Amino acid sequence: MVRETNKYFKFDWITIILFFLLVGFGWLNILSASNTGETIDYFNFSQPYSKQLIFILLTLGLIVIILSIEAKFYERFSSIIYIVSMLSLVGLFLFGKNVNGATSWYAIGGMTLQPSEFAKAATALAVAKYVSDLNSDIKRLKDQIQTFIIIAIPAILVLLQNDTGSTVVYGAFFFVLYREGLPKIYLNLAVLATLLSVFSLKFGATITSILTVILIVAYHFLSKKKPPILQSLFMLFVCVGLSVGIKFFYQSILQPHQQERISLWLRLEKDPVKLEQMKKTFAYNLNESEKAISSGGFTGRGFLEGTRTTGKFVPEQHTDYIFSTVGEEWGFLGSSMVVIVFVLLIIRVLHLAELQKSQFSRVYGYGVASIIFMHFLINIGMVMGLIPTIGIPLPMFSYGGSGLWAFTILLFIFIKLDSNRINEW
Amino acid sequence: MAVKEKSILNRLYFISGCMFVFGIAVVFKLVSIQFLQGDKYKSLVGKRSIKNVTIPANRGNVYADDGSLLATSIPKYNIAIDAVVSSSKLFEENIKALSDSLSRYSGKSSSYYQRAIRRARANKNQYYLLAKNIGYSDYVRLRSFPLLNKGAIPGGLIVEQNTKREFPMGSIARRTIGYERIDEKGNVTRPGIDGAFGVKYLRGTDGKRWKQKIGKNKWKPLTDYNQVEPKDGYDVYTTIDVNIQDIAHHALLEQLDKYKADHGCVIVMETKTGEVKAISNLGRSSKGVYYERLNYAVGESHEPGSTFKLMALAAAFEDKLVDTSDVVDTEKGILSFYGKKVRDSKHGGYGKITVSKAFEVSSNTGVVKAIDQAYKEKPSKFIDRLSAMNIKHGDSLGIPIIGEAKSIVPDPRVKNGRWSGIALQWMAYGYGVSFTPLQTLTFYNAIANNGEMVKPQFLKEVKEFDKVIVPFEKEVINRQVCSKETIGKLQKLLKNVVEKKHGTGNGLYSENFSMAGKTGTCQKDYRDKDKLNYISSFAGYFPADNPKYSCIVVIHEPDKSVGYYGADVSGPVFKRIAQKIFTDTPIIDEVETLEVKNAKAESQFEAYYKLAQNHKTIMPNVVGLPAMDAIALLENMQVDVKIELLGAGIVKKQSVREKVKLNSNQTIVLNAS
Repeated sequence: MVRETNKYFKFDWITIILFFLLVGFGWLNILSASNTGETIDYFNFSQPYSKQLIFILLTLGLIVIILSIEAKFYERFSSIIYIVSMLSLVGLFLFGKNVNGATSWYAIGGMTLQPSEFAKAATALAVAKYVSDLNSDIKRLKDQIQTFIIIAIPAILVLLQNDTGSTVVYGAFFFVLYREGLPKIYLNLAVLATLLSVFSLKFGATITSILTVILIVAYHFLSKKKPPILQSLFMLFVCVGLSVGIKFFYQSILQPHQQERISLWLRLEKDPVKLEQMKKTFAYNLNESEKAISSGGFTGRGFLEGTRTTGKFVPEQHTDYIFSTVGEEWGFLGSSMVVIVFVLLIIRVLHLAELQKSQFSRVYGYGVASIIFMHFLINIGMVMGLIPTIGIPLPMFSYGGSGLWAFTILLFIFIKLDSNRINEW
Repeated sequence: MAVKEKSILNRLYFISGCMFVFGIAVVFKLVSIQFLQGDKYKSLVGKRSIKNVTIPANRGNVYADDGSLLATSIPKYNIAIDAVVSSSKLFEENIKALSDSLSRYSGKSSSYYQRAIRRARANKNQYYLLAKNIGYSDYVRLRSFPLLNKGAIPGGLIVEQNTKREFPMGSIARRTIGYERIDEKGNVTRPGIDGAFGVKYLRGTDGKRWKQKIGKNKWKPLTDYNQVEPKDGYDVYTTIDVNIQDIAHHALLEQLDKYKADHGCVIVMETKTGEVKAISNLGRSSKGVYYERLNYAVGESHEPGSTFKLMALAAAFEDKLVDTSDVVDTEKGILSFYGKKVRDSKHGGYGKITVSKAFEVSSNTGVVKAIDQAYKEKPSKFIDRLSAMNIKHGDSLGIPIIGEAKSIVPDPRVKNGRWSGIALQWMAYGYGVSFTPLQTLTFYNAIANNGEMVKPQFLKEVKEFDKVIVPFEKEVINRQVCSKETIGKLQKLLKNVVEKKHGTGNGLYSENFSMAGKTGTCQKDYRDKDKLNYISSFAGYFPADNPKYSCIVVIHEPDKSVGYYGADVSGPVFKRIAQKIFTDTPIIDEVETLEVKNAKAESQFEAYYKLAQNHKTIMPNVVGLPAMDAIALLENMQVDVKIELLGAGIVKKQSVREKVKLNSNQTIVLNAS
């Protein structure tokens, strides 16, 4: 086997190539989005594109380090990595720097580091460690709760730092746990909760409650294997509670900008004047990004030719809204290519994860794939208006050192683990 | 492994399925945005957020031949306030101070401003104009006023900059310097040099810059550079001599005023080069005030009358059919052709006189008879000879100023050639033909220039800073319009008109300097007795020997009760110009006393000129100036003032003190003695 004879070929080069394709193409788009039209000066380090180039070069060093470390290290030290990472998140409350309303950065010299990015990889390691422990069984409630706590700690910490986007990403671990045997009831509950939420918001709590009552009562009496009356009553209570609760949550807990984002997404606002107003204010980004993407057409306007990109119409275009640059300058073809490369990468990682002999590697692999997928879903969904706006970068693509390095660490630890799969642990 | 194989596979499919479904959803959304709704978004893109803004290039300046500025572009500002944008706190804190400042600036009361701005705020007026067309220093001052110094937000300052064309010399030669005016419908009026060279040289190329909409009516530049850099227009150096122009303007103005004429024009041309040193066109407005109305000198073709006798005799001399010493019988001042009569102005005629004298006294019958005898057998020969001297039908000088009229010369060989049985005879004394004053002058200038006909030049050169872009050279139309011998005869005749006692131009004679020329008194609208009017003209050159300038004065429709003869109406303008130029130029070959005599005039003129340059809105000291100069000076101010003149001569007293700022429609009383 090739992998055994040549130490370089033991790494999964397909994943590595897909990774660099995304990073490289991402950089071209950052160049385009941050270029203000002057001549491009790669050594002008006030420009995002130059900075990102440095980040990418540093990434190479990071990869070498990650791949040189013994694979066992990641499993053995996962708890410590997790604890250190959580401490770094806690430390933000004391030393953090506030950028755009989120206290998510450490300022070190002229650089800023965002520990929440790295916390994802640490959490993935910790979850993998816990779930793969011989003594734990995800079907047991106790272990479910413990796993949930491992995931909830970073999720809550970043939520407190006003980084809602990152919190949502931790939902990715649902896929991991599901794959590892989490009882179906959770999936059913999740789907039910999502449907109920959307229904309640869209059609109102009363109508939703009445409908649910009718459905449950009908099911109770028409079902062949009569469910216990207590179970049906419990369901009834939960559903009605949920649909009323979600309305309350929406109106009282969510911040106004979050309410409006959801309101726009679900088209809750009927008044066309107000809707237009909304589009111009808080949905400005989305509106501009859709315009940019639409102006690309089939083949796009060409590299550095996008007027809406050059014109800086889309705020945050080189970070969260980088996909709109792809849309404008590379058109339908380019956008589809990006989607395809992402899907290929995710499927490749999933495929490799399934090949792992060690449960730790497999769970971690699923974690990697799920986190990348979650980012991809939320980011692209947001840029195109498929889901409500949640600020989150596009992995490997968006501008930012922390994000790029976090994803490099996340992915290359898996590549290292994968390269070791034939070895005995 | 706690989960069964099949179950795991299902879960794997489920997860992959979720991702796949999402991938499909993304592609669908892409198709929707880029193709299905593409047009909607594209129209939004085009309509709203970005525009290519034109950056107007600075228009070039127009200079006189000595570098004096004739036309230039100056930035002007409109200052308005958005009365709504400021917060109540900020507004209340500053409104009083702002009103006070505005009051001090404009002279209107502070409470007036406070009321007006408060009303604007109550009415949600987002554009309340505070000052219009103010200069840069005023703009800087207003910008520093309370509230306004907070800028557009939150102060509400609105600044609009536009460029105004300024004419430092006032209305002098305005029609010839020209301007560009675009009315609401987009029609462009562009007379004069500006019209001729505006597009080519003065205008420059506008720049372009992308701007992005950042708010209501607010656009920010998209990039740090311009997509197309504006290229400023070139400067145009005209041949206009400000001194001569000034003399010509005021001499004409005075005469028009005196004769209550409808309109008139003067052209002064440098003989050797054809450079137009002065061109003035004044027409009367409905209120009886004269201003540069139309470019009559270039655009108005009319029957020249007696000034054409020069051309007629030139042809006859050249064909050797008539000579100066030939005697013609003026037959008691009336000749009859086909029932139509040619009359002399002198009742009873001049009897038998030489052709030379017929010209000098401007005898219609004499000249008509000479031409009739010479060419009646073969009129086409006359036409051919004129044509050889560049007097042709449908011809124009081809000068760049728009609207040059074409000449009319009848021709018996051409169908509908305006020919008739009396065409030749009437042509002989300037009827049935038609020329612009500039065309007539060009011929006179050729005679002055010993036969070399040069094209009138308006431009010396076009410059970009100090670099000459286009030099304009002298252009010769005809190297020799007629033989030297003929030229000599004609020059003698023209000189005699002024110098001989019997000459029609003898009234202009001055022993201090020599002039040569021909009077013209042409009937206008003679087909209707009630409308009968005159065109008085004088064309000639000076000094009579070795001429330096040629000049034509044409005055239309003088008040017949005051006078209408060319010698009386137009001649004095010619003389005044010649006189002033003589006192100014070192070609004087006359007696020294002249300088002494004119030193005063010169110093007066200098004083006047200096004042005219320096004071545009401030009352100058006009005491000691001739009343006409004083009036001209005041009329050329940037403020419209009413002037009442009591008496005539030298101004003794002025009702408004010196150095007082003049207001519009203010009346100034001048006492003269």
